[in-house]
Order: sequence, then C-alpha cells, then structure tokens
Amino acid sequence: MAAIEVENLVKRFGGEEVLGGLDLTVKEGEIFGLIGPSGSGKSTLMRTLTGYLTPSEGKVEVLGKPPSEFAPKDRRRVGFMPQGFVLYGELSVRQNLNFVAGLYGLKFGKRRRRVRETLEFVELWEHRRKTASNVSGGMQRRLQLAAALVHEPELLFVDEPTANLDPILRRRFWEEFRQLSGEGRTLFVTTQYVGEAELCDRVGLLSGGILVALGTPDELRRRAFGGELVQMALTGSPSQLSDSLEALEPLGRVVEVRQDEDAEEAVSRVRLVVEDADATLPQVMEVLNGAEVRSLNIPKPSFDEVFFRLMEGTNVTPEDAG
Amino acid sequence: MRIGAVAAKEFWGLLRQPQLLLLLLIGPILIMVAFGLSLDVQSILTPRALVVVEPGSEGAELFEEYRYEFTNRTTFAGTTDDLEAARQQLLRGEVDAVISIPSDPSEAITSGEQAVLEVTYNSINPVFGTAVPRRVYGLVLDLNQSLVEQGIASNIGDIRSAREQVNYLDRQIENANATAEALTSEEGRTVTADLDDSLSELEETLEVLQDAPNETGGDTQTALERVRQGREQLAEVREAQENGVEEVEELSGVSELEQTVDDLQNALSDVPDASPEVLANPFRSEIENLATPPGIVGFYAPGVLALLIQHIAVSMASLSIIRERLQGAYEFFEVSPLGAGELLAGKFLTYFGLVLGANLAVAAVLAFFLGIPIGGGVLAMALAMALVTVASLGLGFLVSALARSQLQAVQVAMLLLIASVLFAGFLFPLGDMQGPARTIAYFLPASYGIRTLQEVMIRGEGIPLFDIAGLLVIAAVSLVLTRYLLGRKKT
Repeated sequence: MAAIEVENLVKRFGGEEVLGGLDLTVKEGEIFGLIGPSGSGKSTLMRTLTGYLTPSEGKVEVLGKPPSEFAPKDRRRVGFMPQGFVLYGELSVRQNLNFVAGLYGLKFGKRRRRVRETLEFVELWEHRRKTASNVSGGMQRRLQLAAALVHEPELLFVDEPTANLDPILRRRFWEEFRQLSGEGRTLFVTTQYVGEAELCDRVGLLSGGILVALGTPDELRRRAFGGELVQMALTGSPSQLSDSLEALEPLGRVVEVRQDEDAEEAVSRVRLVVEDADATLPQVMEVLNGAEVRSLNIPKPSFDEVFFRLMEGTNVTPEDAG
Repeated sequence: MRIGAVAAKEFWGLLRQPQLLLLLLIGPILIMVAFGLSLDVQSILTPRALVVVEPGSEGAELFEEYRYEFTNRTTFAGTTDDLEAARQQLLRGEVDAVISIPSDPSEAITSGEQAVLEVTYNSINPVFGTAVPRRVYGLVLDLNQSLVEQGIASNIGDIRSAREQVNYLDRQIENANATAEALTSEEGRTVTADLDDSLSELEETLEVLQDAPNETGGDTQTALERVRQGREQLAEVREAQENGVEEVEELSGVSELEQTVDDLQNALSDVPDASPEVLANPFRSEIENLATPPGIVGFYAPGVLALLIQHIAVSMASLSIIRERLQGAYEFFEVSPLGAGELLAGKFLTYFGLVLGANLAVAAVLAFFLGIPIGGGVLAMALAMALVTVASLGLGFLVSALARSQLQAVQVAMLLLIASVLFAGFLFPLGDMQGPARTIAYFLPASYGIRTLQEVMIRGEGIPLFDIAGLLVIAAVSLVLTRYLLGRKKT
C-alpha cells in the first residue's frame, strides 16, 4: 500500500505555478528522498503533503486520506521534523519533548516512557535538563527529530534534516533514519545534500516544480549516464591507445579518456558506459588483449555527478542548484 | 563607515515594513486627531444639571425670571417637579447635578434667612468632580447679584419719593409747631384776647344793626352768624392757649400730621429684619455629594489597575502567536493534532492565570500599603479584574493573529495603551468625551475596566451589567475572530 499518493498535483501562489502537475507514489516503509535546487518546490510539496498547504489542483492522499481532511487521529500517525529548530529555547530538552508528546495526546505514563526512549534514541537523555538554547545546533536538530518521533508515527516528514550539520552528525542522522525504516516507518526526506540521496530507497529530483527524475539511486545513476560505468587504467597516452579504445566501442560508449598526470609513466584513465557492467567486465579484458591494464573496476559515480548530469537535461542549470 | 552601514541597514529594513511605519507614524497622529476632536473641556467643566422646581410656585417664577443664571453656569438638562426621579437620574449618571429651588424663597428672606438652593451631585472624581460645587457657587453668586440689582433698580425711586414727602411734612410740622408756640405765648394770648374783645364789640354792633328798622336782614344776619362762629372758634383757641402747646397742636391737627409722618417713617423702615449678608446674598447653596470621593491616589488606583491588566494581557497575548508563527512552531502545530482552538485555549489559560494573579498581587499591595479602598469586596474586584483580563487577552490574541512581526504587535499594544489613557476614562471622564473617542472607547477593555473597578473599589457597588456585557462582547468577538484567522487554511 502507498503511504503517499500524488496525482497531477498543481500548486499556485497568486498566478505563479510552483508545482506543475506532479505524480508521485511513496511506498510504505521506504525512505523517499526529495532532492532539487533551491526554489524547486521541495518545501511547498512537503507542506502540501503535511496538510499545511492545500493543493490548487490534483489529488493528494497521505495514509489513504487527503491531508487537508485529517482528523486529530490521522495526524497522530504522522510526524514532522521542520527545517529549523522551532521548539522553545527557554525550556529544557525534556520539557520540550514533554510538550510535544502532550500535543500528540500521549497519556502521562506512556509520555514519560516515550520521552525517555526517544531521548535515548537520539542520544540526548544525558542532556535532558539543559535548556534547549544551551545545547549545540546538532543537539537541537536531534531534539527536533525526537519531537517528530515521540508519538511513534507511521509516516515521518523530514525537511532538510542535516542542513548545516557536520558530516559525522549527518551520518548519524541517516543511521537513525535507516533504523526507523527498519522498524517499518515511512520517511519522506528532503535534502540539499545531493549525496544523501544515495542513502534513500528511492529518490525524486525536483526542478522548477516538476519531478524530472524518480527512481532508486542506481536507476537515477543509470539514467544520468545512460547505463553503468566501467572504469579502467591503461598504460600509454590517449594517442597511443587509439586501437584499444576502438576495440572497446562494440561493448559500450567511451565517455572519458584522460591521462593521469601524477603517474611516473604515461597512464590513461578510461570510462566506458555499458548496459551491464558485471557482464561486460570479462569482455573488456578480452578486447583489450595485448594492452597493459593497470586496473579495472565498476565505479559508483558520486550522486553529485549524477545530479549534475540529470540537471543538464532540464531547463535549470546545475549552477542554480546551489 | 561601519556605523553608517548599520544605520543604512536599519533604515532600509524599516522602509521594507510599510505596515510598521504606518503604525509608527499614522497611529499616534490618528490618536491625537481623535483626542482633539473628542475632548471638550467646556463640557467637562460644565455639569449637566437638572432643576427641580414646583410648578406655579414663587420658585418657578424665580427660575423663569432668572433662567439665564441657571443655564449659563451649567449644561441645562431641563426641569422637573419630582425630586426622587431627578435623584435616580443622577444615580444613573444621566445628569451630573440636581438643583432644587425652594417653592417660597421670599418667606425665608423676609424672616431674615437666606433661601437655600439644594444641590446634589454624585462624583468620586477628586479632580473633575469639583466642577459641580464650583459651578453652583458661581450660579448662586450670579443669582444673588441679579436679585439685588433688580431690587435696587425697582425700589430706589419709591424710596426717593417717600423721602421727599417726609421732608415736606417735616417742614409743615415745624411751621405748625412754630405757630402753636406763638399762639401760646403771652403776646399770642393778648392778641386773641384783643381779638375776642373786638369780635364782641362787632357782635354787639351787628345786633344793633339787625334791630334797626331799615335793615332788610339778609347780610347782617349772615355776618352776625360768622362773627359768633368766629368767637366760638376763638374761644376754643383761647381755651387751648390756656391748656398749653399740646392742646393747640391737637386743635390744629399737627399731632395727626405727626402721627402720619411717624407711620410713614415706620413704613419706610419696614424692610425685612435681616442682616446685611442676607440682603446682599438672599440665596445660598447647600451641596451634597452622594458619593465619597477618595484621595487622588485612591481615585486613580482602579484606573491604573485596569490599564495595567489590559497592557500586560495585550502585550503578552499579542506576542505569543506571532512569535511562534515567525519561528516556525506554528507550522509544526499545524501538522500535529493540536487544533487552533486548543492552541488558543491553552495559551489563554496560562496568560489568564498569570495576568490575573499578578494584578491581584498589585491590588493587594495597593490596599495594604497605600490604603486603597476595596469597598465592594475582594471577590467583586477579582471578578471585575478577571473580566478585564479575559477581554484584554482576546484583543491581544487578535492583534497577534493579524500582526506581521513582533515589532508590529508591540507597537499596536503601545497604541492601545495610549488610546486607553486618553479615551477610556483614565485622565478625562468617559461621559464627557465626544465624537470619535466615544466610538474608540467601546472597543477598549480599559473603558469598561476603569469604570467597573471604580464602581467596585471606590463606590462599593457591584459590577455594572453594561460593563460585564461590553467586556464579554469584546472577548467573544476577539476570540472567535482569532480562532477563525488561526484555523484558516493557507492557500
């Protein structure tokens, strides 16, 4: 069953169309990542899915119901972690979480237990008595995550969870997301870190209010390059390797040949796009018979590169992606 | 350079907030314009007076004759013959003073006492409440002056004429007295004796002539009768001469004349047996204030409390929602099961307890350390304060739901405070404000709060129903509007 179902979603502010006819399905239990440049409509889409905004056109269903018609019991099934820290700096970490647990109707006993469990989950139990304004930015983000989790939601909307966090903290967040997904929860995550899309089950690329790409990270990678990559290092300069490169052409498309400047002798690095990298590797060895193959592997290009390549196919330039 | 950069940033930042600028500049100007249009000092200083007078009485005539004196010093609210009904109007605040004119003021004046204008008013205001006594003092002064002037003008001619007559009579009496004294002198007696002898001789002669043969009888007879008559009168005179001056004066009617003069003098001196003070000031006033005004601090304390409640409540409430909306918490609430009504109710409960508790503490300090009266009891005062708190919180939440920034909310709270000080009856009596101020006052919880707390604390009365209704209407309308604005879906 789909946790989120969107059909032909259009959202306009005044006369300006911010989301233009989106179709999207998020399955239960998956981590869905939404990436896109600033102003692409990520926050608008998330606000429409949470029910904060109403769609101008189209159909939106979250957990089987339009969010604008959510009753309190429906809202208890949803958690939301906003982009910034929106809790209360003058309250302690535990008081903040107690307050949010109260909003979701947790009774005293359960509230006490869940507050402790959630604070331990985000590793803030030790800091529970500190006022929220006196903890670090990373802790505030974890407190915000705890606030989204305290009532054990089935579906979690997470808006830019790792913005401005250091890589170690970002990694911890994603470990927690993965753990939550493992518990069967659905996560809808927007992120400005394109590389984090790799950590999602499925990714949507939003550009100019249009979903330009949707799929698993591997599918998007394949789509960005037109297939899978095979990378090799061959002895000799590119001009010396013309015969070898010609021999590779029946196997796939050579997309990059460049000489390794750091090597003591002439070495060229070659990237070949093929349909199935695993199946192609033996064939590569075969056609390069005679050439000195220094290394041969199946690289996973960074998602930054994937993002750039995918964006090249849209109206928005990669530079706009910020 | 750096200061310039900061100054420029602040300047452009402010220019980017036209609503704030509008509030900063236009708000105070509008308040001052409304104040200028609404404050009529003459109205404050000229109490509305109802005159009680018995129809057809001398008092009614006096009022009609000296109507100007009564209407010039007051805002004349009409006449009635029902004192009790007039008092009720006074208690309801429909008039500021009841002036009762005595039915028969002359009776008191002729008996040497001042006639009394009884004046009743009902003010707890030690500042503007003195307008009634001051105006009544002026009224009585004017009335007395007019009465004396007219009395002098109408009687002065008669007095002069009488004085001349008396003088003339005096002169006549003096002449008569001189004549009487002359008649009783030795010389006078000789003269009358000689006259008697002559008349005797004449009588004899005429008797002879009458008996004469050629006498026809007509003229001689007449002459003889006159002579005899003259001798009789002369005999009376001579007898009076023998009895002294008084007999002569009586005979000549001088005594009668003197008696007349005495009577005239008595009549002229028949003015009221009154002191000069009564003659100069035939009327005086007796002024009764139905209320007992406290001292300055006692009078302003309830107003300060009402303003304090309104300002604290509006400030806190107006910042509460806008702060959460700006920091993003509101979006978080929107996604949670928390409804707009629950959010409002939760905030309301805390602020209500806080504002009411703090102000009850202030009231306790005022009562214990400054001796501020709480005539109506602590419970009634607390209830009144609770009502003001509810209405003020409602207004504050509405401001918060409409404001775009915290600065804007603070600015509106300040403008409400200024408007309340000027228009809500704190500095100037609410009943004497006119025009836009009256309309503005209906929307300010302090207008009802100041009056209610004054009634409860100073007069010891209950909470006026009108004020309860006003405060509840403000609270209900504000809270419903706020609930609607908060619950509205973003489009």
